[in-house]
Amino acid sequence: MDDPFPETTVTRRGFLGLLAGSLAAALGAAAGSCGLAYFLSPAFSREKDEWVDIAGVDDIPLGAPTEVKFTQRRRDAWLVAEGLASTWVLTRDRAHFIAYDPHCTHLGCPYRWSRTRNEFLCPCHGGVFSMDGKVLAGPPPRPLDRYPTKVEAGRLLVIPLPARGMR
Amino acid sequence: MSARSRIGAWLDERAGLDRVWQALFARHIPAIGPARGWLYVFGGTTLFVLLLQAFTGALLAMNYAPSPDHAYDALRYIESRVLLGRFIRAAHHWGANFTVVLISLHMLRTFLFGAFKFPREATWLTGVLLFFAVFAFAFTGYLLPWDQKAYWATVVGTNLAGELPLAGHAFELVLKGAPQLGAATLARFYAFHILWLPATAALLLGAHLFLVVWHGISQPPVRRNYPPDQPGWQDEYRRRYALAKEEGMPFFPNAVLMDIVACVLAVVLLTALALHYGAPLENPADPTDVSYNPRPAWYFLFLFEALKGFPGWLEPLAAVVLPGAALLALLLVPFLDRGSRRHPLDRPFWSGLGAAALAGLSALTIMGARSPLTNPEVRENQGIVEGKRLYRRLDCGYCHQVAGRGGKIGPALDKIAQPHPAPWLEAHFRNPQALVPGSVMPKLNLLPDEINALTAYVRLLEPKVSYTPRAPELFMANCAVCHTLDGKGGRVGPDLTHIGSVRGTGYLRRYIADPTRFYPNAVMPSFKNRLTEVQIEDIARFLKGPRRQPKKS
Repeated sequence: MDDPFPETTVTRRGFLGLLAGSLAAALGAAAGSCGLAYFLSPAFSREKDEWVDIAGVDDIPLGAPTEVKFTQRRRDAWLVAEGLASTWVLTRDRAHFIAYDPHCTHLGCPYRWSRTRNEFLCPCHGGVFSMDGKVLAGPPPRPLDRYPTKVEAGRLLVIPLPARGMR
Repeated sequence: MSARSRIGAWLDERAGLDRVWQALFARHIPAIGPARGWLYVFGGTTLFVLLLQAFTGALLAMNYAPSPDHAYDALRYIESRVLLGRFIRAAHHWGANFTVVLISLHMLRTFLFGAFKFPREATWLTGVLLFFAVFAFAFTGYLLPWDQKAYWATVVGTNLAGELPLAGHAFELVLKGAPQLGAATLARFYAFHILWLPATAALLLGAHLFLVVWHGISQPPVRRNYPPDQPGWQDEYRRRYALAKEEGMPFFPNAVLMDIVACVLAVVLLTALALHYGAPLENPADPTDVSYNPRPAWYFLFLFEALKGFPGWLEPLAAVVLPGAALLALLLVPFLDRGSRRHPLDRPFWSGLGAAALAGLSALTIMGARSPLTNPEVRENQGIVEGKRLYRRLDCGYCHQVAGRGGKIGPALDKIAQPHPAPWLEAHFRNPQALVPGSVMPKLNLLPDEINALTAYVRLLEPKVSYTPRAPELFMANCAVCHTLDGKGGRVGPDLTHIGSVRGTGYLRRYIADPTRFYPNAVMPSFKNRLTEVQIEDIARFLKGPRRQPKKS
């Protein structure tokens, strides 16, 4: 008949040592996971931004991208800060608007509209975009980002955070 | 050789891990026995909670700015917007309390067992310095939230330091960094709390732990079983200790396991307290507030209470000289209580003195905790507090008056005749011109939270209605036939919409009761026989205003 309790090599000291090690590991894991969640929390946060009134519809020239500067009051972690922001606005009929995030989609440099070349030029790594935001040259990986826009009572409103789906 | 042992051998050759293990964990300690062994866990548990404090503190520092105009908001941010922020902060708060308790228990055990005696005097010295460091951590950490408690506890604490004879004022200035408690103080305390003190504590801790390992832990004393108390008893002590160590057991796993079990218990308790009670955060520091009751943390209550018993001219004695002498005595314990006897009952004088000191501290602490508050406790709504701060920050007082102070461009907010319902105020803050065409109030692009806070505050400012819900009905039944109010009613008598701004409640009451007292030929009938006095008073208050906006159907 087989021995139901075969002799093992686990000694009392070995078992206690294992227990001590496991408890210590559990403590470390508990504290570490809380700390890690706290540390990584910016990666999960979804910032909710509000519509910002940036200009009167009639103030925007037809046909060519125009840089519109506006004041935005927004939450900056524990501060509420009022700061100047801008967007490149394009409209052909004052009914439909495109508002571009004013940063190159490559590495975030501030591009500008060149009236002579009819293109957006990025000063950093030679990115070039068309009026519709398409990449014409250089390293940008995707067309220009756009802000959501809407028109209310003759005013143009945008949400100045590029919607993820629009990237 | 297996892969595991090959890695082990590789590491051992390069880092000497085996010898480190032998020196720290496999070393022999005297057998202590399971029951008394639990009295030896406080040191290890204090160490663990201190490490936990460093961990949670480093996390909190990632969302903090040591500046009076940001600190409090950063704390609110941690509490409300950072994942697990509330919990981590509460764990740091309770961890501080635990550290104070555990290090005190550790010291008490060391004192009772006479473990500070030869050859462990230096261990005691570094331990007491660590004890001071823990209190310095507590004192400096207290200011960082920049709330009322923080501010006033630090005002009292730094003034206390100013009581130091001779150099008091200079010492206070160095502590505060500026004549008044403010930006320099907060930056300084933060630097102490996260840089100077941790560095100091780490050095002391290194020395303390080295000495603990070097000398080995002391044995629990056995009554009347000591080397004879004569010169050279130290050699005999050494001989006996070496023997006990040889007959003892390795530090790992038994003693380590007990330490770890104690740490697990501490963490479970700490987590429960942190989850259940959180960490307090009062209103933002307000140097002008006269309704606050400053109270220190419980571990400083004894001093708080003791200070009450001394007249002004003896203040330096209570504030600095006596506590200073007590701390010095604590530091010098190994050089005062000498000789080979270790059991507390075999050194009755020192045990008695320790017990008396402990009893005195406990009594003072309990008295301090029970001492009545001078001012009634006011719990303000958080939204209103935020609204008040925003009102100041946005400089609303440039145009509006509150309590007679402020500009006259907009209406005085505490004298508005017709209080506005919250939705109206919210819409108004969002876009003033949309509700009041031609309003000069600027559109401020406020965030939704800010609108809610301002609404809560402005609603609080508005005068309260003082009439009963029956008053509008009484007016409709008795007065509206002839009088118009807020655009509704008859036109036989004068419009009463603005009567409240020119006549007082008393006048209105007397007039309603008997108009002929004022105008002998008055057409208006007397109401003193038609309505009760209470009803007349109710209508008078209703007319005086302010009146609630009728609900929109």
